[in-house]
Amino acid sequence: MNAMVQRLHLTHPGHFVGGLTLWSIWFIAVYGGLSVACAVVPPDPAQGALTHINITLLLVSLITALLLAGLAWGCFQEAKQHKGRQHFNAFVSAWLYVFSTLAVAFVAAPIIGLPPCL
Amino acid sequence: MTTINREATGPENLQKLHDDLSEVWGNPKGLKALTIVNHTTLGLRFMVTGMAFFLIGGILAMLIRTQIATPDQNFMTPEIYSQVTTMHGTVMMFLFAIPILEGLAIYMIPKMIGARDLVCPRLTALGYWCYLFGGIILCFSMVLEMAPDSGWFMYTPLSSNEYSPGLGSDFWLLGITFVEISALSAGVELVVSILRTRTQGMALHKMPLFAWYILAMALMIVVGFPPLILGSILLELERAVGMPFFDIAGGGDPVLWQHLFWLFGHPEVYIIFLPAAGIVSTLIPVFAGRPIVGYGWVVFAITVMGFISFGLWVHHMFTVGIPQLAQAFFSAASMLVAIPTGIQVFVWLATLWLGKPKMKLPMLWIIGFLVIFVCGGLTGVMLALVPFDWQVHDTHFVVAHMHYVLVGGMLFPLMAGIYYWLPLFSGRMPSETIGKWGFWLVFIGFNATFLIMHWTGLLGMPRRVYTYNTGFGWDIFNLLSSIGGFVMSAGFAMVLIDITLHFRYGKPAKTNPWNADTLEWANKLPPTPYNFVSLPPIETRHPLWEHPELPQEMQEGRHGLATASHGRRELWGTDPLTGKVREIIHVPSNSWWPLFAAMALAVVCISLLLRWYPVAGAGVMVAIGFLLRWSWENGAHPKAAPDAKVMPGDPPLHSRTMDGPGLWAMTTAMIANGSFFLSYLFGWFYLWTVSPEWRMPDASPLSLVALVVAGVALLGGSALMESSVRRLRKQLDSGLAMRLYGAALLGGLQFVLILWVMWNANLVVTETSHDAILMVGLYYALLHSALGTVISLLQGMRVGYRYVGAHAPFEPVVVTYFWRYNVVVFWILIAALAVLPRVIGG
Repeated sequence: MNAMVQRLHLTHPGHFVGGLTLWSIWFIAVYGGLSVACAVVPPDPAQGALTHINITLLLVSLITALLLAGLAWGCFQEAKQHKGRQHFNAFVSAWLYVFSTLAVAFVAAPIIGLPPCL
Repeated sequence: MTTINREATGPENLQKLHDDLSEVWGNPKGLKALTIVNHTTLGLRFMVTGMAFFLIGGILAMLIRTQIATPDQNFMTPEIYSQVTTMHGTVMMFLFAIPILEGLAIYMIPKMIGARDLVCPRLTALGYWCYLFGGIILCFSMVLEMAPDSGWFMYTPLSSNEYSPGLGSDFWLLGITFVEISALSAGVELVVSILRTRTQGMALHKMPLFAWYILAMALMIVVGFPPLILGSILLELERAVGMPFFDIAGGGDPVLWQHLFWLFGHPEVYIIFLPAAGIVSTLIPVFAGRPIVGYGWVVFAITVMGFISFGLWVHHMFTVGIPQLAQAFFSAASMLVAIPTGIQVFVWLATLWLGKPKMKLPMLWIIGFLVIFVCGGLTGVMLALVPFDWQVHDTHFVVAHMHYVLVGGMLFPLMAGIYYWLPLFSGRMPSETIGKWGFWLVFIGFNATFLIMHWTGLLGMPRRVYTYNTGFGWDIFNLLSSIGGFVMSAGFAMVLIDITLHFRYGKPAKTNPWNADTLEWANKLPPTPYNFVSLPPIETRHPLWEHPELPQEMQEGRHGLATASHGRRELWGTDPLTGKVREIIHVPSNSWWPLFAAMALAVVCISLLLRWYPVAGAGVMVAIGFLLRWSWENGAHPKAAPDAKVMPGDPPLHSRTMDGPGLWAMTTAMIANGSFFLSYLFGWFYLWTVSPEWRMPDASPLSLVALVVAGVALLGGSALMESSVRRLRKQLDSGLAMRLYGAALLGGLQFVLILWVMWNANLVVTETSHDAILMVGLYYALLHSALGTVISLLQGMRVGYRYVGAHAPFEPVVVTYFWRYNVVVFWILIAALAVLPRVIGG
């Protein structure tokens, strides 16, 4: 149990892969979700981008981005409080979370303007 | 610096120590040289074999350029031309680029992290033999004029029976799968070696950048190769048995192949690029004479590339007809990858800017890399734009972009690395004059070939057409490209001559000839089989800059593990994060088993090609026999480490602990296995939701009750394994053998029940992809059940021989990990194959 708690600590290098793992899960969920939704319940193309699919995808993206941004903030706080190895780990993790947050925002941006199943 | 080990020897005993180490680690000669498992020898074998395949691939490239140098050529028939283009791509990607970089990593990593070998030396040897045999089998198809001819990505239905009725596709599918065993072996052991065998004190953030790059590459191999292995198995099953995974009429979908191929194929570009970038990040600080600017940013960039590269695969499929929004996701993700690439380029430029670069021969190749790779990266961003991609898809523009990225991004840094480490390989320096001639010919020839090829692409010339009519405006560009190709070949010939001659005429290299900072230069030139007489504590990123006396100290045996009279091959087992020593890892010595196992697998491969299934079955059994015998000689076995004695103050042997490299290797292997399983699930759900002719029966043919009982048996077996491990942690081994036999019995029950389910399902695997893919899933479960049963049974037997017990508790822990994996995937399989269809329906 102790080992597990240590791994969750924001100075653990496991967070190097934390943000991008969340990004990957989000990416698979959004791409897979879009594909399945278009196969099962395709909306009327006349609706344009304002469909239940796009709204759901946007909500999922927003929650993911907020979670990642929170983790980035937490890592920056930890980085300030440590030196050496732990500072390095938290600092690199913080920027990786920042990148993951921006990556979610950037990749999700087309959801606002493009109809889902065309 | 402090060391946890004592000064093991005085000057009077130094020669004795060297003799002991040579006896324990030495390489046999003659026929027995085939048993060598040492990373130095095998790394070199990988690289030399890779260079041989590079020459074959290069000759094929020149044949292509000859054929299309002028319009209306009939130098080659269309059939042969298709074989040549397919084999050029296949050889370069699978038999040259990945193996040679793996070879470099295999050679270099232990030396850089202060170890004496990789953590699974016999696996290195198995990987090499599989690579060699697989490559020979694949290339032999050209001699028979039966080579694959569907392009190096083997798109279905072109590669299916209908359009490729010969053996060409089979050569590709079986040969490449065979070679991939090698890649996965190297991937697993590089991950574990980097994480667990760094010398004492080398914390993660002090590790050489090259090790970071190789760690990322190895993890990407572990995750990225299984989708292609699955795809190859499915396509071979379709071709050999008629299971219609990619056939629309049977409920399959040819686009599934594209997904599985590019799930592997795009990350593969980065699997090739990352080690090459690792060479660049190693060399630039050395020749700039200062530490790299932004070590942390490089780690950041490596991590981002490792992940993002898995999110780009659909950008190879922009023209197959997927929704615009999905295309936009992949287009955006493709652009994102420019960020970590850009960070690295700026880090390299800043390091050069702030240092005092010396333009030695390796640096020429680095500068060439920077120029070419940045151009390739820019055309990559262009191709990420969907409308542009539609315009140039399948034209020479894409071919030119790919060569800018791969030759610029991989071959130039590789050449830089080879020249840089040449003194380590041979103890001699290369000729600057011939080397510079070689570089300039390659650089000019390359740009003449491929810069111009962008224009033929923009003018609309499709790739892989064997000839063209005059009048399209392509004639002069093709001719110039071909001339450039031959100039480039002349350059490589010069490089080859330089390298060959240097072994005899090169000036002897002095110690640390480039004034480098990393530990590999603390070796003798060329290195001994044991690398280092003693393993030093390292708490800096630049050990040789900060402690120039270190190589001497290490040679004098003044640091850790400076003893070999026990007869074991030993390395430090250190904490993956801090580098603190946890245990002594003892690794196996030279053995015939890897060669024998690879030979048996080669028999399987050839038998499958020839459709001699009984022989293939026998080959599988023989290979399993060899592999099990190999696994038997482990832990407390007389041929491994029967005596657990260590020097006073040293940590215990890993086989006498509950942790060790085997556990990490099992975990990493299960990540690869999990990637294979997830690819399978992707295939199942993809066909279910997308395939236009998918036919789901009204009632599931799988008996849910029998599967659940099988799952419960598996859980019971797993619980017995877990309880065995819990008791071993308390040093209790009474009844251990019975528990292990009990687990094997329950595994056997699961096996029988799965067989029963298969038998009763009456699946018609040649009729529908539904039945075919169910059968593959059941076979997967059956195989895992059998493996769990057999290894638990063997563990029980090993308890009887006293190879396992409270005194040597390690192996059951490793086996328990496998059981845990089995439990998770089997229940997911039940949910996906037997429960969901009942709940949702077709």
